[in-house]
Amino acid sequence: MEKRTPAPFRKRDRAILAVVGVALIVSTFLFLYSYIAHDWRYYQGEFRNRVAQKFGEEKAATVPSGLQQIWVPELRHADRCVSCHQAVSWKGFEAAEEPFRTHPQEILRTHPAERYGCTACHGGQGYAIDAAEAHGPVAFWEEPLLSKSLGESYSLADKGALLQMTCNVCHRYDRETKGADAVNLAKNLVRDKGCRACHVVNGRGGSIGPDLTYVGEKAPEQYDYSRLSGQKTSFAWHVAHLKEPRALVPETVMPNFNLTTREAQSLAMLVMSWRRSPVPASFLAGAPRTDPQTPEEKEAERRMATGPGGWFVKTGCFVCHSISALGVKSPAQIGPDLSIAVEDVQSRFGRTIDDFLRAPTGTMSVVLSRQIILTPEEKAIAVQKLREAFAEHQKQKAAEQRAAPARR
Amino acid sequence: METTGTAPGVHPKPLWSVAPDSDRQAGDAVVSNFVLHWFPAKALKDSLAWRYSLWLGTISAALLLLLTVSGLPLLFLHVPSVERAYGSVKDIEYVVTFGYWIRSVHRFAAHFMVAAVFLHLVRVFLTGAYKNGTGRGQHREWNWVIGVAMLLVTLFLSFTGYLLPWDQLAYWAVTVGTNIASAVPLAGPKIRELLIGGRTIDQPTLIRFSVMHVVLLPGLLGGLFAYHMWRIRKDGGLATADRAAALPARAEVPAGKTKTYTLLGIARGTGPTIRASSVEAPDTTVNSVPDLTRRAAIVTLGTMAFISILSVFVHSPLEEPANALVTPNPAKAPWYFLWLQEIVTDTTIKIGSFTVNGAFIGGVVLPGLLVVLMAAWPWLDRSPAAAAGRWFPQSRRTQNLVFLLIVLAVLVLTFVGTFCRGPYWGLYWPWQAWPELPTRI
Repeated sequence: MEKRTPAPFRKRDRAILAVVGVALIVSTFLFLYSYIAHDWRYYQGEFRNRVAQKFGEEKAATVPSGLQQIWVPELRHADRCVSCHQAVSWKGFEAAEEPFRTHPQEILRTHPAERYGCTACHGGQGYAIDAAEAHGPVAFWEEPLLSKSLGESYSLADKGALLQMTCNVCHRYDRETKGADAVNLAKNLVRDKGCRACHVVNGRGGSIGPDLTYVGEKAPEQYDYSRLSGQKTSFAWHVAHLKEPRALVPETVMPNFNLTTREAQSLAMLVMSWRRSPVPASFLAGAPRTDPQTPEEKEAERRMATGPGGWFVKTGCFVCHSISALGVKSPAQIGPDLSIAVEDVQSRFGRTIDDFLRAPTGTMSVVLSRQIILTPEEKAIAVQKLREAFAEHQKQKAAEQRAAPARR
Repeated sequence: METTGTAPGVHPKPLWSVAPDSDRQAGDAVVSNFVLHWFPAKALKDSLAWRYSLWLGTISAALLLLLTVSGLPLLFLHVPSVERAYGSVKDIEYVVTFGYWIRSVHRFAAHFMVAAVFLHLVRVFLTGAYKNGTGRGQHREWNWVIGVAMLLVTLFLSFTGYLLPWDQLAYWAVTVGTNIASAVPLAGPKIRELLIGGRTIDQPTLIRFSVMHVVLLPGLLGGLFAYHMWRIRKDGGLATADRAAALPARAEVPAGKTKTYTLLGIARGTGPTIRASSVEAPDTTVNSVPDLTRRAAIVTLGTMAFISILSVFVHSPLEEPANALVTPNPAKAPWYFLWLQEIVTDTTIKIGSFTVNGAFIGGVVLPGLLVVLMAAWPWLDRSPAAAAGRWFPQSRRTQNLVFLLIVLAVLVLTFVGTFCRGPYWGLYWPWQAWPELPTRI
C-alpha cells in the first residue's frame, strides 16, 4: 500500500456537500415549476374546454396553444394579451366573463387587432404574460390598463370612458370621433369655452396660459398636489383644476367655467390624451392631421375684421369679448360685452375707462401685459372706440325702445 | 514490465481522481487535470480552514463563473440598441424560457460578487495576508494591488451592466455615476464624454458600455484573476501557510530537504522556498484531492444553489423605458456607489452664493485617496512578518481598527443611501413609508 495522508475533513465535508447537492436539485425543481406555473396555461385549457362544449372537439383543436402575441412593428408593441384572452375574435362568447369574452366586433372592423394590437387602445403592459403584471397597477409602469375598475375609481359615469384617451392619441385632430362621446364633449367645450383665448392647442391660441398641445406628456411629479385631496394623479389633478382652478392654483387667472363633473372629467381625458405619441402614418389614413380653423370660422372673422368693430378684431380683444353694438361676436365670450364697457367699468371698478386701461387690474392686467400689448396711443384709440361703441349701443337701445311700443 | 499498456497518469480505478487511494494518485489527479492543475498537490490544513479565509475568494470566483455562464445566453438575447434594448430585456423577463431566472441569476451574482470581492479584501487586510512571510521571492504586496484592481474592475463591470436594460433605473443610475466622474478637475467633462461617447447618454453610451461589459472588462478581469491565482502559488499559498511554516512543527518530524521550485526559466532566479518540514508533515497537510477540491466544490456549488434559489423567488426589477425628460424621484446610483453619492450630498454645502462642490470631494478626492492609500498600504504597513495570516494580531491592532472604522463608515453610508433616502433625497427610516408619489392615471 502506498503512502496515504489522512483526510481529516472527509466525514463532515461530505455531509455538507450532500446538503449542497440537495439544494441544487431543489433549485432545479423550483425554477422548472416557476416556468410551468403561469396563468395562461390554465386559461388556455379552460377556453379550449369551452370551445369544445360549444362548437365541438374539432373546432377546439384549432385553438392555438402556447404563448401568443400580436406583434405591431410600427409601434414596436408585442401584445401577449391574447395568450389568455383567446376569445377576442371568436364569435359566440359575447356573454362570457373575461378572459373568455369576445371583443366587441364593430370596433375591430375598423381597428383589426392584428394591425393595432391591444395595448395601443387599452393600455397595460403587453409584454407581460401574467395578469398582475399585464393589468397592473405595476410599480414603474405608468401606462395602466384603462379598465372599467380604473374608471370606477374616478367615479366616471361611463366607466369605460378612459379608453377614449388612447383613441384620441391618433384622433386628436378629428372634430368628432365616432364612439368617443366623452372626448367629443370635451372638444366641443374647448371650442365653446374659448380655451384658445389663453392656451395654445394644436399650434394656435393665446399665450396667457401654458401651451397645452403636448400637456399630456407632463410628468405626474410636475403638478402641485398640495391642495388636492384624494388620488394623487395627473388625471385627478386636471379634473379638480378644471372644476375650480383657483382651488389648486390660487394665483391663476383661469376662470371657473362652472363645468359639471362629467364635463371636467371629459376635458381631463382630452388634455391627458395630448401626448407626443408617435403614430404611424398608416394608422392615420383618412384622419385629419392638422387642426385649422374651419372656412366658416375664417369667414366670420374676416367679416368682423372689416366691419365697424374691426379694430377690436385686429387687436385680439374679440377673442374674449363681444362688441355686439359693432357686430363683433366673440367665439368664446369669456369676458363681458364691451358695448357697455364705458358704463360697466365705472360700476364694476369705480374708475373711468381711461383710468382702467392705463392701469388695469385683475385678469385684464395679465392680458394687457402679456398677450395684448397696447401703446398709450393705442389705448387712447381703444377708449375712443369704446365710447363710439357705447354711443352706438345707446342708439340701438333707443331705437329698440322706440320700436317696441310701436309693435305693441 | 507489467505496467506496459497503461500510460502514465492512467489508473485502473474509474474515479481515481475523485477518491484517490494514495498520495501518488492524489498528486496525479492534480497534475493531469486541466481544471485542477493550479492547485498544489498538497495543501496546508490551516489554509483550508473555513474560519481563516471564509472562502470569500472562492465565492467571488464561483460568482464570476456563474456570471460568465449566465451572461452567455443573455448575450444572445440582449440587443444593445436604444430602440430595442428595453424590449429585448422585457422579452427575456417574460417570454424567454427560464429567461427571468437567468437574468436574476446574472443580477444577483453581480451584486453578490461586488459584496464578496469587497469582503474578501476586508478579510485580506484584517489578516494581513498581503504581507510577505518567510519564503524567498514572495510578492504578496503585488497580489494585493492586483486584488484592489480586481475590485475596481468588478465595480465597473457591475456599473456597465447597469445601463444595458435601458430602463429608468439604468439611465439615471448611470447619469448620477457619470456626473460624479465629471467632477474630476480639468479633465472631468472630457472623461465623462469619453465614457459615454458624447454629452448625453444615448446610443454611443449603450454600445460603449455593452462592449466594455461583455468583452473588455471580463477579459481584463479574467487576466487579472489568472495572475492573482498564479501569484498565490508563487507566493507559497495563503499567508497562513507561512505562519504554519514559521511555527515550530506540531509533531516531531525529521527535517526534510529544502525544495526549490523553478519556473521553466520564465521567472528569474529561484522561486519561493518552502520549508519542507511543514508542507510534508502528515499532521499539518492534506492532499488537495479530495480535501481541497471537495471544499472548493462545496463553496462553488453552494454559491450556485444559493443564487439559483434566490433567483426563483426574487425577480429582477425593470422600470419604465429610459426617459431623459423624466427624472425618477429619488434618482440613485447603484447601491455600491451610494456611499459616495451620500458623501456627495453631505459635502455639498451652500454658503451664501458660494457652493462647495460635493461631487469633487465625495466623487473624486475621497475615493481616489482611499484607492491610492489601499494600494500603497503594504509598503506603509511596518508590522512584523509574524503578523501575516492571523486575524487581529496585536501588532496590527491600530491599523485594523482604523480600517474597520472606514469600512464601517462605508457600510453605514451605503445603508443610509440605499434604505433611508427617499423622494427629494429626504431621510426616511427603512420602515417609514415614503410619501405617495403621483402617477399619471
